[in-house]
Amino acid sequence: MTGRARRVLWLRHATLIAISVVMLAPFYWVAKASMTGENIYDYPPHLWPVRSNLFNFVDVWYLIPFPRYLLNSIIVSLIAVAGNLVLNAIAGYALTLPFMGRRSMIVLLLSCTLIPFQATIIPAYLITAHLGLLNSYLGLALPLLSTIVCIFIFKASFDAVPRSLIDAARIDGLGELRILLRVMLPLSTPAIATNVVLSFIWSWNNFLWPLIITRSQDMQTLPLGLARFLSYMEDTTAALYAFVVMVLAPGLLVFLMAQSAFMRGLTTGATKG
Amino acid sequence: MIHSSRRMRQAAVVACFLAPSLLIFVVYRILPLAWNVVLSFEYWSPLRPATWAGWDNYSEMLHDDDVFWTALWNTLIFLGSQPIAIALALGVALLVNSDLKGAGVYRTIVFLSYPLMTVAVAIIWHLMYNEHGGLINYVLRQVGIIQQPIAFLDSFAWALPSTIVANTWQVLGFFMIVLLSGLQNIQPHLYEAARVDGAPAWARFFRITLPMLRPALFLCLVIGILNSFSAFDLIYVMTNGGPGHATELLITYIYKQAFGETRFDYAAALTVAQFAMLLLLTWIAHRAVGGNAGAIE
Repeated sequence: MTGRARRVLWLRHATLIAISVVMLAPFYWVAKASMTGENIYDYPPHLWPVRSNLFNFVDVWYLIPFPRYLLNSIIVSLIAVAGNLVLNAIAGYALTLPFMGRRSMIVLLLSCTLIPFQATIIPAYLITAHLGLLNSYLGLALPLLSTIVCIFIFKASFDAVPRSLIDAARIDGLGELRILLRVMLPLSTPAIATNVVLSFIWSWNNFLWPLIITRSQDMQTLPLGLARFLSYMEDTTAALYAFVVMVLAPGLLVFLMAQSAFMRGLTTGATKG
Repeated sequence: MIHSSRRMRQAAVVACFLAPSLLIFVVYRILPLAWNVVLSFEYWSPLRPATWAGWDNYSEMLHDDDVFWTALWNTLIFLGSQPIAIALALGVALLVNSDLKGAGVYRTIVFLSYPLMTVAVAIIWHLMYNEHGGLINYVLRQVGIIQQPIAFLDSFAWALPSTIVANTWQVLGFFMIVLLSGLQNIQPHLYEAARVDGAPAWARFFRITLPMLRPALFLCLVIGILNSFSAFDLIYVMTNGGPGHATELLITYIYKQAFGETRFDYAAALTVAQFAMLLLLTWIAHRAVGGNAGAIE
C-alpha cells in the first residue's frame, strides 16, 4: 500500500469514527442518566454515572403502571404481527397468480403507500368509533393488520420460487392454500422474518393512533406511558430515563438479532414499493 | 371445461386472498381520504348534524388563520431539511460502501437510531438539549463556543432547528441503507471504463454515481416528504409545537384542531391541504430526479 492510499484509508476511518461517536452519544447519555445517583440537572454534568445504581429501574415499576403498559404493548403487537403474517402472505400469494385486473390492483396498492396514516386520523377515528372499537385491543391493532410494503416483500419472495415446483404441486392436486403453506412459505423464511420484524417494530413504536383512540389508562401502550411520564413528572427524575431504556431495549434487541432481515426488508420492500 | 372451472376456482381464491387486506386499506386509507374531502366542505362536529359549508373552511385557513401559515412555513422548512439529511446520508454511504474493514460495524451504528420508538428519541433529545444536564450545552461551553447555556427547546430561534437535528439523527441511517443498496446496484465495469478513459473522481461521481442512484434518491425524497407527517411523534413530545407555535407543523396543528378543539371539519380541510402539498412535492421530486426514476416497481 502506498503512503497516499494509507493516508486516505486512515482519513476514512477517522471520519467514520467521528460520525459513530456523534450517532452513539445520545444513547450513552440516556443510559448514563438512567443509572446515575446524582441530580441529572446539575451543571456541569458528569460524563460518567456517579454513585451508579439500578434503583431507577425499580422505581419505574412503582411510579407508573409499567406492567400494564408492557402487557398492552405486547398484546397489540402480537395481534399486529399475526395479522400481518397471515394477511400479507395470502395477499402476496394472490398477486403472483394470473387474474384479470392484476396490474391495476398492483398500481392501486402502490398508490395507497402514498397515503400516510397520519393523513387519515380524523375519519379513521370516526370509523373506529362507529365500529365500537375505541379503547380496545382490536381497535388499536386494526389499521396495522396488513402492510402494503410487506405484501410486496412476500410477493417478491414467492415470485422467486421456481415455476416447476409449483406446477408439480398443482399436478399432485394441491389446492392454492396448500401450495402456499407447503411450498411457498417453507421457501420464504427470510420474507417471514422480515414481516415479523417490521410489523413488530411498527406496532411497538406506534404513538399517534393509540394517542387518539385510547380513553383509559389501562389501555395505554408503552409510548403513551412514556409521553405521559414526561409530562407529569416534569422531567425531574432519572426514572424517566430508566423507563426509556427499558422501552428501547426490546426493539433494539429484536433489531440486532434480525439486523440483516430488517435492513434487507426495508430496502427491497421499499424499492419494490 | 375442466380448464375453465379451474380458472373460476383460481379467481375465487384470488378474491378471497386479497379481500382481507383490501378491506383494511379501503377502510383505513381510501375511505378516510375521501371522507376528509367531504368533511372539509361541511360544518360538522360530533354533536351537530352536518351542513354544507362550501369553501368556508378553506377560506378561513387562507385568510384568517395565522397559525396555519406558521405551521405551513415550519413544515416547508422541515421538508427543506430532508435533502440535506439525504446528502449527509449519501456521504456516509459512500464512505462505508467498499471492502473497508469494519464497514458493517459503522453501518449498524449509523442505522441503530432508525428502529427506535420516536417518543423515546424525543425524550432522549429533550435531555440532550437541556440547559444544565444536557450534553450539547456542556460540550459547547467546554469548547468555548458559548458562554451562557442556551435553552434550545424554549427558544423561538433554536427550537425548530433542534427538532430537525433530532429527526435527522433518527432517519439518517434509513437514507444511508437505501442509498447503499442503490450504490451496490451500480455495475463496477462502468467505473473501470471511466478510469481507463482517465475520468477524475469527481467526474465519475457526477456522471456515473449520481445518475445511477436516481431511483434510490427518488425513494429517499418520497420518504423524506412523508417524514413531514410522521414527525408528529417527535414534535408532540419534544415541544408540543411550542414555544408559541415556533415548532408547529401542519400535522401537529391538525391534531390539535381535531382532538383538542373538536373542530374535525376544519382539521379535515387542513389535512386535505397538506395531502395536496405532499402529492405536489412528490410530483416535483419525480420531475427533478428525472424521467424513469419513478418506475420503482
